Amino acid sequence: MASQRKLYDSRLQAALLLLPTFVVLTAFLYYPGLATFRLSLYETLFLGQQTAWNGLGNFVALATSPAYRNSFVLSVVFAAVVVLGTLLVSLLIGYLLFDVGTRSSLYLVAAIWPYALPPAVAAILLSFLLHPNLGIVTHYLELVTPWTLDWFNDGPQALAVLAIIAVWKQLGYNIIFVVAALNNIPQTLTENARLDGVGRLRMLWRVYVPLISPTLLFLVVMNTIYAFFSTFPLVDLLTSGGPSGWTNLLIFKLYRDAFEFSNLGSASAQSVVLFVLVAVLMYVQIRVTDGYAQYGA
Amino acid sequence: MADIQLRDLTKRYTDDVLAVDGIDLRIHDGEFLVLVGPSGCGKSTTLRTIAGLEDATDGTIEIGDSVVNDVSPKNREIAMVFQNYALYPHMTAAENMSFGMRSVSDFSAEEIERRVADAAETLGIEELLERKPKELSGGERQRVAIGRALVREPQVFLLDEPLSNLDAKLRVQMRAELLKLHRQLETTTVYVTHDQTEAMTLGDRVAVLNDGQLQQVASPQELYDFPENRFVAEFIGEPAMNVLPVELRATGHGLTAAHEGFTVELPGTTDRAALGADDRTVSFGVRPEDIALASSLPDGAATFTAEVTVTEPLGEQLLLHCRVGSAEIQVKVEPRSQVAVGESVTLGFDRERLHLFAADTGETLYHSARPKADPNGRAEQSHEPASSEGLAPEAEPTG
Repeated sequence: MASQRKLYDSRLQAALLLLPTFVVLTAFLYYPGLATFRLSLYETLFLGQQTAWNGLGNFVALATSPAYRNSFVLSVVFAAVVVLGTLLVSLLIGYLLFDVGTRSSLYLVAAIWPYALPPAVAAILLSFLLHPNLGIVTHYLELVTPWTLDWFNDGPQALAVLAIIAVWKQLGYNIIFVVAALNNIPQTLTENARLDGVGRLRMLWRVYVPLISPTLLFLVVMNTIYAFFSTFPLVDLLTSGGPSGWTNLLIFKLYRDAFEFSNLGSASAQSVVLFVLVAVLMYVQIRVTDGYAQYGA
Repeated sequence: MADIQLRDLTKRYTDDVLAVDGIDLRIHDGEFLVLVGPSGCGKSTTLRTIAGLEDATDGTIEIGDSVVNDVSPKNREIAMVFQNYALYPHMTAAENMSFGMRSVSDFSAEEIERRVADAAETLGIEELLERKPKELSGGERQRVAIGRALVREPQVFLLDEPLSNLDAKLRVQMRAELLKLHRQLETTTVYVTHDQTEAMTLGDRVAVLNDGQLQQVASPQELYDFPENRFVAEFIGEPAMNVLPVELRATGHGLTAAHEGFTVELPGTTDRAALGADDRTVSFGVRPEDIALASSLPDGAATFTAEVTVTEPLGEQLLLHCRVGSAEIQVKVEPRSQVAVGESVTLGFDRERLHLFAADTGETLYHSARPKADPNGRAEQSHEPASSEGLAPEAEPTG
């Protein structure tokens, strides 16, 4: 190799430079990961001080538990709504931001703002705004719609509210990417469509969406991870899994099983299931959409 | 088919940026008009304003008999071809060509199919219809882009530097194809380019723009022989016309232009007032090919000496950079002339091809040949030394 360059003086120096990263990854990723896999095969007592080999017993128990199956189905439905809802809404808002002629950066900042809010702060604020009795949003919604809003007691309503909040929280992240991707499309394509008289929505679905499909695929994957893992604070602060288990998402259930009910073995098994579920979903998403995604011209 | 009339067309982006500054231009029905100028001269903006992609700040645009300032682009019956082709990368060539028509409800499926097939046949791209842009070469992409314009069956074609992304050889080939296509369709065409060779070879008439203002509109040859100002003189022609400061001196039978390195009689002149030259000092223009080595001039021709500083063999001609006094001029001579760098050469001007421009405004004061109205734009050399009409301060373009 002609271009081989020496970036370090000795192997020892190279190893030393790699060490911090390696230590952090091992301590906080690889070791806990492996420990979780190991724990998922044991029955545990008191935060894991006493363990007993259980084989696949934890997984069998999960598969036969109605509460877990309920949580599993809820999570998948919730994730599907959040992933698609986020993508759809951010695509429409992103398109408006891309299309608007004046003050677009002002609108962009406004649209991204929710993403800058810490999830816990957002959850607390929204719990006031959407409070069934005291919330200003709920009050006016009830005035203009025939519904009675009581998501403290109504399970489906609680899940819907949670999904809407989860979508809203993730919009900013999606919009940044959508607007950036749209701005990368050569302007002459848009101008040519104007000369042809192509309608804006038709242009969005037939031209822009195919052209930004690599970005959309990326967002689907990121939103999937978000919907399964990062919605914990919203559930914890807004509904705590209730009413009657309607918002008991997998990530929340396994936290409670581990740290409230001290059932580390079962919680580890749930972690493994969640990990495998998301990994499989991402693999399928990438395989399925890769054939459609347009990379470059 | 339609003609286009621009009246006082002005496009102002901000208070500081005046892209198009009051252009009056009539583009005749079926004409191939080229807008040419350096980058930033407003030629693309003018085209985009005709297309409706930009709104005119002032003035009117007429296509056919109607003012179209407030007509949306899709209703102007125009089609545009872009420099970067602007093809939809995820659609096949056929889909690209039909997407616009399928997006409006005015056309039946058979009609769309017929038009795509017709356009493909005209352009010889039948084999490429099922391919996507990334499977096409640059020239093929540009053909598809032109095909997309054809299927609209427009009144006017607008082309914005359509050949600039192609390599040199392909550009020459596509140029010829565009001309052939235009002869076949006879659709009014406005073509924007920064390349003066393209402008000269393609245009029935060429409009030269600079700083948003129209400098001259004329047939290519007339533009070359009788530029209306110094900008046009220097912009058209490669290498550019030599322009030197000279002093006008009266002699018994006319004027001479005196430079520190040479003095040349200006045939057909009488006095400075008749030229309209306020100043004694004016700009003297002569093209490199209108200067020759004394050996190839007739006997008795006035000559001067110059020192060769650089020689550039162009193949079909030899380009000399020469020092005359303190000025540098370029001279095109016979390709196999024996001339060495540092050598002194004796040169003479072609007396029929001299130009004078006002030193301040750059307006043309004098051509030693007189423009003749001619439908092909080929101005004849009609200068007769005795005639007092040898000067032509306002060479009026005719087309």
